[in-house]
Amino acid sequence: MNASGQAVAGASNGRSVRDIVLFVPRFVLIALLALAIADMIVGVFLRYVMVPVTDWLDLDPINFFWVEEVGEYSLAWLTMIGAGIGVAERAHFTLRVVTHRLPPVPQRAVHIASNLLIAVFGGLAAWYGTRLAIINTALTSPALQLNLAWLYAAPAVGGVLMAISALSLAVEPPVTEEAAPVASESGALAAGDD
Amino acid sequence: MLLAATGLVFAILAALSVPIVFALGAAAVTGLVLGGYSLEMLASSLIGASQNWILLAIPSFIFAGTIMERCGMSYALVDLARALVGWLRGGLGMSVIVVSYFFSDICGSKMAEVSALGSTLMPPLKRAGYRPADGASLIAAGTAMGMLVPPAIFLIVIGEVTNISVVALFLAGFVPAAVIGICLCLLVALQAHLLGWPKDTRPSFRFLLRSLRDAAVPLVIPLVILGGFYFGAFTATEAGAIVALYSLAAARLYYRNLTWRQIVWIGYDSAVLTAVVVFLLAVATIFQYLMGVTGVPLLLGELLKPLESAHWLFLLGVALITMVFGMVLEGLPAAVVLIPVVFPIANRLGINPIHFDIVQTAAVGIGLFLPPMGVGLLMALRFAEVPVGEHAKTYWPYVLALLVGLMLIICLPELSLAIPRSAGFVR
Repeated sequence: MNASGQAVAGASNGRSVRDIVLFVPRFVLIALLALAIADMIVGVFLRYVMVPVTDWLDLDPINFFWVEEVGEYSLAWLTMIGAGIGVAERAHFTLRVVTHRLPPVPQRAVHIASNLLIAVFGGLAAWYGTRLAIINTALTSPALQLNLAWLYAAPAVGGVLMAISALSLAVEPPVTEEAAPVASESGALAAGDD
Repeated sequence: MLLAATGLVFAILAALSVPIVFALGAAAVTGLVLGGYSLEMLASSLIGASQNWILLAIPSFIFAGTIMERCGMSYALVDLARALVGWLRGGLGMSVIVVSYFFSDICGSKMAEVSALGSTLMPPLKRAGYRPADGASLIAAGTAMGMLVPPAIFLIVIGEVTNISVVALFLAGFVPAAVIGICLCLLVALQAHLLGWPKDTRPSFRFLLRSLRDAAVPLVIPLVILGGFYFGAFTATEAGAIVALYSLAAARLYYRNLTWRQIVWIGYDSAVLTAVVVFLLAVATIFQYLMGVTGVPLLLGELLKPLESAHWLFLLGVALITMVFGMVLEGLPAAVVLIPVVFPIANRLGINPIHFDIVQTAAVGIGLFLPPMGVGLLMALRFAEVPVGEHAKTYWPYVLALLVGLMLIICLPELSLAIPRSAGFVR
């Protein structure tokens, strides 16, 4: 197999590993977004509809402290899982001023080093996230009485996803500038958005 | 030493196309290790910053904006803008500015906005005799102005970074954006006379009514935001939820041109983009902590001392730095790296924080569309197929108009403060 053949094989291996690993997290990410938005809508309904109704009927007020907690925890998990998937999707803000002008070999070297660095960062987030989760196993959240390890496990999971995504990207050739803004099936731009 | 090492690590990695958030992360880890701080902070900061009720407004506004954009509301808004100002000389050009204002109201995402306006407006502009470079300039300048129009995601982020009410910033953004819009419209009128740009067809009253009816569905969103916030009816996060539900209902019940499958994918894109933004904010908190303990704000305070004699001079100086950051680093990274360091100095000088945030938001908006490497400008130029160097000859008057607008916002704080003041956010 020649060099370009190896690159193509590496690219397809990287992509297939990534697709398998990210299959479930992608659905979880969509579910977390749905949960966060639904939670906020329920919060609005409880505050603006149910509170006046219970006041008017002179019933016990409805407790909705949990709304804030569910929303915040969903966002934390969404952020960490999405940041991991974002590595695979090349969705993080990236400056493209120097590297695409380099000759192919140094460009490839920079691409591999960059992804290895992301993998190391993901590994650190996973390691310290796990430690933090273990430390917090004795604590529970105020409203939901949820074990806080569930919250603090988010950076651990996100870190693992970042590391796997980055390692799988490292075996692929670097993308050209034209292909850089990543589009998912629906074609929306993720990078460079404000 | 610590400061130099972290700064150097960040600059080298960012220049080598390591995603900015990981360049920041690597610099932060370097700083923590060199400074003898515990790396436990890495995980706790990631959770501490992302577990945030206010930032929950981001996914719902992105989701709602993308849905409305994908439903094709840009066509309705373009028709309305053409009916309102198209009959003037250069009216089609002005309608680009007007539609950017409306569109930013609904679509929280700059890149989606450039993409939608570029594809919707470039063909009629070319047909009407505008050069591609003029078309790209109008779209770029209009979208740069739109940075200030709520529910811009940037306003949520800068509000969070400087600890200012997002509702107050949303209320503050409407008038300054209109002021910059007027500067741009005056320039278009002048250009139209100099370059002989045509009048659009004079719209009939029936066309005006029809375009108003078609645009009514998307325009409910800014009305909800402005009205709801002004009367203190709900928070930014709640507004996000209401707008998300409304756009979903509009897509399924009114436009009926999006399938559930497409909506799910829009949700996926919105979630990834939200994660990218919030993760950046979270990683930046470690970097901000390090900058704080290494005395960067003091150092920068010394550097900016010559500008402290007058508020407008300070704001202008910082805005110019922000603009360059916005051009090089893109908008949000600029906000999380630079603004927290400069904000305490502005506070010490007695500059109103809402005014400061609005000026910096306008500056970042201009920076995003500044040649030679503003990412928004490069995106707009893709539709015009004009090289950035050649385009600059056409574009400089627009940059000048944007800067005149910025100067007006800097020198007249009430433009930013009048609405928040009347809503009780400023004493």
